[in-house]
Amino acid sequence: MTMRILLVEDDATTLKYVADGFTAQKYQVDSATDGQEGLTLAKHNQYDLLILDRMLPKLDGLTLLSALRTSGNKTPVLILSALSHVDERVKGLRAGGDDYMTKPFAFAELLVRAEKLAQRNVVEPAATDIEVGSLKMELLTRKVTLDDSELMLQPKEFQLLKYLMEHPNQVISRTLLFEAVWDYHFDPRTNVIDVHIAKLRRKFEELGHGELIETVRGAGYRLCKRH
Amino acid sequence: MLVLSLYRQLVIEQQNQVDKHLAAEMQRYQQLALTVNRRSFAAQIRAADPKTALIAWRNSVDMVGALTFLPENMPQLPETRDFPIFTGGPDKLHILTGGLVITRYGPVLIATRTDQLAALIEKFINAAFWAVAFTLGLTLALGYIFSKAILRRLVEYNRLSEQIEAGHYETRLPVSESQDEFDMLARQFNLVLDTLEQNLRAVRGVTDNIAHDLRTPLSHLRIGIELLSQKPTAELADATAELLEELDHCLGTFDAMLSLTRIEEGQQMLDLQPVSLQQICQDLFEMAEVIAESRDQVLKISLEDDIQVNGDKYLLFQALFNLVDNAIKYSPDGATISIIQQGKHIQISDNGPGIIDEDKERVFDRLVRLDPSRHYKGTGLGLSMVKAILSRHKATISLHDNNPGLLVSIHFK
Repeated sequence: MTMRILLVEDDATTLKYVADGFTAQKYQVDSATDGQEGLTLAKHNQYDLLILDRMLPKLDGLTLLSALRTSGNKTPVLILSALSHVDERVKGLRAGGDDYMTKPFAFAELLVRAEKLAQRNVVEPAATDIEVGSLKMELLTRKVTLDDSELMLQPKEFQLLKYLMEHPNQVISRTLLFEAVWDYHFDPRTNVIDVHIAKLRRKFEELGHGELIETVRGAGYRLCKRH
Repeated sequence: MLVLSLYRQLVIEQQNQVDKHLAAEMQRYQQLALTVNRRSFAAQIRAADPKTALIAWRNSVDMVGALTFLPENMPQLPETRDFPIFTGGPDKLHILTGGLVITRYGPVLIATRTDQLAALIEKFINAAFWAVAFTLGLTLALGYIFSKAILRRLVEYNRLSEQIEAGHYETRLPVSESQDEFDMLARQFNLVLDTLEQNLRAVRGVTDNIAHDLRTPLSHLRIGIELLSQKPTAELADATAELLEELDHCLGTFDAMLSLTRIEEGQQMLDLQPVSLQQICQDLFEMAEVIAESRDQVLKISLEDDIQVNGDKYLLFQALFNLVDNAIKYSPDGATISIIQQGKHIQISDNGPGIIDEDKERVFDRLVRLDPSRHYKGTGLGLSMVKAILSRHKATISLHDNNPGLLVSIHFK
């Protein structure tokens, strides 16, 4: 079943960029250009995810969100905002948002976050193993093997690799990786992720598969499936 | 009130004197009636000095003494009653106070003039009226003079605030030596102006900084985009990625400037919660360890006596991480960096090049970078942000020599 997304955004360029991106991924996208219309659509349809701009004409994004939550609607909501400050993030999450992204953003990151939120609604039996090509991860025993040879990973490396394996062939930004590993929300402006990835890649290289983790300049990292 | 009580006292005093006087006269005539015969009694009454008391006695047929009649219903002394009499003089009507005394020869009226008292009261009221009038006049005059002075100051304040409105934000209201309410008001107003001017300067600073520090990367971007169309297809992806990186750096600087101003000016609300300094240092260590490792540096940690502070976990972590990251970045490969937490005290030290004394204060200023070659990537806002975050948490930061290297000392209250 295809996922239905409601996008409430008044800026035409952003709206098109995001809507086209999701449509290309075979999502069904409805859109509204003001808060009032967005609230009406959200109340009368069943969506898997709501992507909400913070500042909207007629009805402000946070007000829309509060109104929706008050009416008992539990659809996951991702807030998009040009206001990047920490307190804005806090406000957004307190108003009932599930995630928050600041503009400008890369669609790849929005997609990862959106999928994560939308899937949260689908009750799936928790997977115990993840497999990407010849790379296998056993979540319970924390055992990772590549071509049946075991990789010895540090806890942080394990978490990073798990996140990459959950989103194979997708470009994952440093911010996403940072959030996956550490419980601190800020732009670290540091190469801490790169250093971890470098260590991880070195371990892959020892088994002759350094190419599995690809660096995408200006965007982040990608775990390749082709192997 | 004062005038009233004075008046009452005066009246009571006067009445007491009249009563005493009448009582003395009463005794005198009672004695006289006992000791002399009727004729001498009449003679005595006739000879009585009217200044002392007015005496009247009805001698069988005619009246003897100062009065030509005996008023009706006079009480017996010591009780008295006021009664009017007519005389031929200029003040025709007089008020007398008196009473009867019963003697062997019949009732004798003893009275005294009390219209002096009335005159006195009148004088008193007159004086009081003038006193009140004078006080009132003086008050009005002084008030007028004072209000003129106050008005002059208000007019001056008004003129100055118009000047401020017109954009002369350096204007201050004059504060005189007298330390009165107006000076207090002026001083408070000046304080408000100080804060506003400071904020204004900060905003102006941000605008200048943005103009200065973002112009260069933006012009790089412009050049890059212009050149994109001439690139061979194979290089296109790389060139675009490079531009994206530059753009992200630009945006990062822009965001940092805005957040810095908001934190410095206290506009950003803190997400306060109890934060364990030990936990935050431990997290710091875990995150930074791998970076240090990649440069063969040793990162050490020592924790002692955990303390909980009420703070914004993310901001505090960001500030402390910035310091550790700096220590790693600016120390050579193989250096040792330590994080020491001891109660409310956190020390981050390295054995890198350190900072010379002259620069120890300056490094906290915006956009100050001690590395002139700009070899290390940074916004020049890191330490300003660290200081702003720490001062919002009422923590102090100071830089010291580690001989060799830098020692950053942070103290929470």
